[in-house]
Amino acid sequence: MTTPFVHVENVAKRWNGQLGVENVSLSIPRGSFVALLGPSGCGKSTTLRLLSGLELPDEGRISIDGRDVTTAAPSDRNLSMVFQSYALFPHLNVAENVVFGLKVRRVAAAERREKLRRALEITGLLGYENRKPGELSGGQRQRVALARAIVANQPLCLMDEPLSNLDAKLRASVRKDIKKLQVDLGITVVYVTHDQTEAMSMADMVVLMKDGHIQQIGAPEDLYYRPANTFVAEFVGSPPMALIEGAALPGFEGVSLIGLRAENVHVTGPGQGRLRCQVSECEFLGSETFIGLTHPSATGLTVSMPGLKTIPAGQSLDIGFADEHLHFFDASGRRTETRPPRPAE
Amino acid sequence: MKALSRHIEAFGALLLAVIWISPLLFAFWAAFHSTSDAVNFNITAPWTLDNFRIAWAGAPWLQYFLNTFLLVTVILVGQFIVTTLAGFAFAQVRFPGRDIVFILVLMQLFILPEVLIVENYAMVSRLGLFDSILGVGMPYMASAFGIFLMRQAFKGVPIELHEAARVEGCGWFGILWRVYVPLARPTYLAYALVSVSTHWNNFLWPLIVTNSPDTRPLTVGLSIFGAPENGVDISVISAATMMSVAPLLVAFLVFQRQFVQAFLRAGIK
Repeated sequence: MTTPFVHVENVAKRWNGQLGVENVSLSIPRGSFVALLGPSGCGKSTTLRLLSGLELPDEGRISIDGRDVTTAAPSDRNLSMVFQSYALFPHLNVAENVVFGLKVRRVAAAERREKLRRALEITGLLGYENRKPGELSGGQRQRVALARAIVANQPLCLMDEPLSNLDAKLRASVRKDIKKLQVDLGITVVYVTHDQTEAMSMADMVVLMKDGHIQQIGAPEDLYYRPANTFVAEFVGSPPMALIEGAALPGFEGVSLIGLRAENVHVTGPGQGRLRCQVSECEFLGSETFIGLTHPSATGLTVSMPGLKTIPAGQSLDIGFADEHLHFFDASGRRTETRPPRPAE
Repeated sequence: MKALSRHIEAFGALLLAVIWISPLLFAFWAAFHSTSDAVNFNITAPWTLDNFRIAWAGAPWLQYFLNTFLLVTVILVGQFIVTTLAGFAFAQVRFPGRDIVFILVLMQLFILPEVLIVENYAMVSRLGLFDSILGVGMPYMASAFGIFLMRQAFKGVPIELHEAARVEGCGWFGILWRVYVPLARPTYLAYALVSVSTHWNNFLWPLIVTNSPDTRPLTVGLSIFGAPENGVDISVISAATMMSVAPLLVAFLVFQRQFVQAFLRAGIK
């Protein structure tokens, strides 16, 4: 394996004894799209700021492109950044905003014009050069921020929740644009988000964090199909994985917790299922209906049924599922592959 | 009842405005009339420009104008440099003892400049700046009010802009110059107005420090021109006063809207 493009080793950052991030180790290959995912306050933004150099770690080392940049200034790390608020300079017009960094680095005017034109072309902002950020819509401002990030051709781009200020419809289209941009330019992107849809749909590699610790690093399908612990299981997927106490399921008394995804659950006839639950609510999504179920020793049980279904709350429903779709977790919540011995048939 | 109280308020405001403006109006009227007409309030008297002719010939006004102009410019430039750097340090640079130093600077606000006249006089003399425009301006350059104002303005700049500039490769000075200063423009404008009008009208300190027509600002020149030993001629003095206040007055009337907006934006009331 080649040396990773970005390497983070045992990094920790604390604020007045309060935990920022602890023990973060991360290897990012060149040209990949990495999403830092987690609930708010999990340390994903801190991790990004440590990568950018806006914060310096208390412990550990960071190297980018083979160079140790643990204490280097942000400007010496050859990276660009897109901020959640876009951080466009309100007193400069679009063109001046985009070439701000080139001007600071004293790039010649002719080269600056050429790079500006290219960046505006890629982001579809040609013709807006003389507008001030205040005269642009949210989506346009976001594209100016993107143009500023790509204009200098830095190999690494850090994005801090760049879509969170856009409405849902725009978010989906910009998501595709960003992904395409990253592939076309061949840059490495580290992308912070709390939205798992963004992370799962865009990233080659997802880093899921909680309370300053990394919970799991892997491809989106790894997180979905092989969650490393119960936190990952309950965070990833919509609806998230249901957790059933092993004791409630005959034959699995030896396991602490069993995970089960909604798409692997089916409704059976009365008395033929493996669990009898009560319907708590129905969530109609168009092509399918999620039916929330309650069971005394399970959380988050959901079954997906095609089309529109309305089942009154409180009605009993029997559900079935196949053994191969079950995930097992030990008492500390970690995934285990060892299935309990099946009872003699 | 409510309508009545509103009328009383409006009337009160109008009365105050008339009382405030009347000396200026009288000076304006007197400047264009002969002395006897002016003191006798002879409303129908003919208008004349003689007073201006006499006043203009009576003192080196052009030199005084130039001195005042240089003085307010020197002070303003010095204040911009000092308050920008100090305000930025207090707003965005972390250094040990920052709060204590800032409180010391603020304490300057509680000390009337007049209290320090003797000490300032001694200091200016030691620096060899006695009877020079720089000497008149020097004590006002490190303005506590200006430092406080700039600190507040710089604190209002979103930290993301600072960070974005850092990522783009700006150093401390680059960030200050390219991000903070342009964003604080309304504050600079409002502060410039306060500073210029204060120092255009400042009298006591320049009177003490200046000694010759080459350095004397308008206010000092005007007071010497109008001093009783030169004979009191209300109309001529009014004409000279009109000439002194005209540039500021005209500027205010022309830029009135911008003035008010600048103050509102900078949050000074």
